[in-house]
Amino acid sequence: MGWNIRPVLSALLRNRTGAVLVAVQIAIALAVLVNAVYIVHQRIEKMHAPTGVDWRNEFWVQSEGFTSRFKAEPSMREDVRYLRSLDGVVDATPANSVPMGWSNQSTYLFTNPNQKGAQLSVSFYAMDEHGLNTLGAHLIAGRAFRADEILPPVEAQNATDFVPELIATQSLAKLMFPGTNALGKVVYDDAGHAATIIGIINDVIAPSWSVLQGWNHVMLIPRTSTMYGIGYLVRTVPGRRDAIMSQVEQHLAASNPDRVINEVRSLEFFRNRLYREDRNMEVFLITVTLLVITICCVGIFGLATFNVSTRTKQIGTRRAVGGRRLDIIHYFMIENALITTAGVVVGCALALAVGYWLSLRYQLPRLDLYYLVGGILVLWFIGQLAVWQPARRAAAVPPSVATRTV
Amino acid sequence: MLGYYLRLALKSFRRNPGLTAVMVGAIALGISVCVVTLTVYHAMSGNPIWWKNDRLYAVTMDLWDPKKPADPRHPALPPSQMSYNDATALAASGIPERSVIMFREEGVVSGGSAQRKPLPAGTRMTTADFFSMFDVPFLYGSGWSAAADSGPEPLMVLSKRENEKLFGGVNSVGRTLRWNDRPFRVVGVLDDWFPIPKFFDVTTGAFGQPEDVYIPLRWAMRLELAPNGGSTDCWALQELHSYRDFLNSDCVWLQMWVELPNAATRAHMQSFMDAYWAQQHRAGRFLRPRNNRLTPVDQWLADNDVVDNDNRVFVGMACAFLAVCLINTVGILLARFLGRAPITGVRRALGASRGDVFTQHLVEVGAVALAGAGFGLLLAVLGLWGLHALYAAPERGGYQELAHFDNASIIWAIALAVVSAAAAGLYPAWRIGRLPPAIYLKSQ
Repeated sequence: MGWNIRPVLSALLRNRTGAVLVAVQIAIALAVLVNAVYIVHQRIEKMHAPTGVDWRNEFWVQSEGFTSRFKAEPSMREDVRYLRSLDGVVDATPANSVPMGWSNQSTYLFTNPNQKGAQLSVSFYAMDEHGLNTLGAHLIAGRAFRADEILPPVEAQNATDFVPELIATQSLAKLMFPGTNALGKVVYDDAGHAATIIGIINDVIAPSWSVLQGWNHVMLIPRTSTMYGIGYLVRTVPGRRDAIMSQVEQHLAASNPDRVINEVRSLEFFRNRLYREDRNMEVFLITVTLLVITICCVGIFGLATFNVSTRTKQIGTRRAVGGRRLDIIHYFMIENALITTAGVVVGCALALAVGYWLSLRYQLPRLDLYYLVGGILVLWFIGQLAVWQPARRAAAVPPSVATRTV
Repeated sequence: MLGYYLRLALKSFRRNPGLTAVMVGAIALGISVCVVTLTVYHAMSGNPIWWKNDRLYAVTMDLWDPKKPADPRHPALPPSQMSYNDATALAASGIPERSVIMFREEGVVSGGSAQRKPLPAGTRMTTADFFSMFDVPFLYGSGWSAAADSGPEPLMVLSKRENEKLFGGVNSVGRTLRWNDRPFRVVGVLDDWFPIPKFFDVTTGAFGQPEDVYIPLRWAMRLELAPNGGSTDCWALQELHSYRDFLNSDCVWLQMWVELPNAATRAHMQSFMDAYWAQQHRAGRFLRPRNNRLTPVDQWLADNDVVDNDNRVFVGMACAFLAVCLINTVGILLARFLGRAPITGVRRALGASRGDVFTQHLVEVGAVALAGAGFGLLLAVLGLWGLHALYAAPERGGYQELAHFDNASIIWAIALAVVSAAAAGLYPAWRIGRLPPAIYLKSQ
């Protein structure tokens, strides 16, 4: 007997409704499964992008002077000295913004003066000579800033001055000067001020994910900032971060009555906040996909059970005229395979349509066909699994049933 | 008759309790997931000042880089904020019934009677019309007058929350507080006010709390404040050596809104903007094609992507899920009804009409849908409660108000239940009513 499809097909066509309903469920399930996995995969890739910094052991303090007595630069010097003197602190630096902290400062860089040549929007970290060590980034080429190269802080009066030197991330250097060594090259800001790349570091994540710029178009500049309050990035030894955070918060709040502490946050907090939408998306999509597949399984199982119970007599007859148990099991498995195939064919079209809509919305590459193939295999497997138990029950129908009610 | 049908339905449920549970559970799950996503979507996309949608307009002009648009995702749109010179020139036209220019600044308040140490406070530096234009409710006092916008008096308005923190909630009108260590007199305290989304300034997060302190914009110029806590965007790096340079620059940092009561004033305002644009264009500014916009609130929210794509995906997925649940229920109902065909055949033979059989099965379907909707609503409440707990944490965004169960959610749930019952039940009930009874009687 073997895999005889024709009788299964003709029986299916005679009693379509239930099969059509299951096939439609499978089609929707395929569209949901394939696109959900695709989106989740993108999000996981994004969330696991390397940060290039020691974020687990770092935190950010933001302070703001509010009286006319407040002197920004001396206060900053004193705070940094205090922070670096603490037991358990690896290093500390003044900082305009921090990795993943959202608040972002950026500028355009050009490879030629007068806004010519390759052009990129670049986020910058304004830190002192301790910046690299505090971030936990490492030099790939060139050198770090020396203490005597750090310029006076940015204030409103010198906001548009540029810096003579900068340190670029590997990706930034490669994009500005493809194919050549960027070390020692000169770049220009909008106004045509020149700066030399004196160091190249590993890719460090920017304060925010921006559409305008990649996450690793980042540079360090040798100048701190007191324009929007004064911030500090602090790196601690592993395990001491939270204790040091509260110690620092208490000390800084009391040490100077002319300022307030706006915010003391770990980089871990910022990281969670930055990726919260992605994590929500992930949880939601996985949950809904699992639910859809579960409901689908229930549907397949239900239909098969119903078919078995209404066909008991026919099954018995087939057994009586020489059909083996295996033939009965095959029958229901083939029936399920046919329904799943029909569902999957419609589902492919549906999945591609949804994928196309998503690619328009998110400006993502079109759905990969591997996902589709994977989704089809998964649904086939699940379908066969769901029909297994009713098929076994059908095979257990004794041949004598055929003789009972005739 | 209905009572009899209900008893029949109950009997049928008892015969197959597992199957009944599956159907009710599937409908409940489908409805609850839909209600939760729709509630969040509704809260995000709602226009919190819909009654003024034909009066309030965000003002924008495209002064950006001739070589590239301000936002590459929306190349047709001008930057969402204005430069100081353009905003003040347009406000001086006198055409709008009301107009407001504003930005967000982080300040520090001290000197409140219930306050022990200086506290940071999100501050909106704004012109006087803010309160009347956006229908902001007052608990004590009022906003300041238009004359105070240019007057020498240091005035401020506090939010209800801030007034509780600084004065323990008592009427603080007339008291003096220090803001950035300067004295300001309180003229008003707002009542609860939390528009969702925060349409009037989406640059600082569309779902945050409104600011806690309001101070006349003029004080920003006097104290030489640039947005600290808002956003400043400059397309051309101009040499800025003084605050005056900053005010005169093409940097955009101010939100501007106008209230235009009718089409005529709107057209008048538009032509004023166009004339201003032409004059500036001749003088060498506004190098991009003319793009002067007066955008109503709902369009403004759409332009600024306040509802993100993720939420559309959530709603789409939830609908797909509900569809699968319903199709499943149709399948189960059909199987169950057809399995009972011999009994139905007997009922038909004893004189029940097709209509009677149809009604009987519809009652059964209705009972399933009702139970599903009830459980679905319960699950949705739980789901929203969970979301609320999840979102309220600051690293999750502090979006407390987004996931509230409101009347709209209940209406969604009821509508979905009715649609579900109709979608899942009509066909099986109709199908069973059409069965010829004779066949089923014969084989017994």
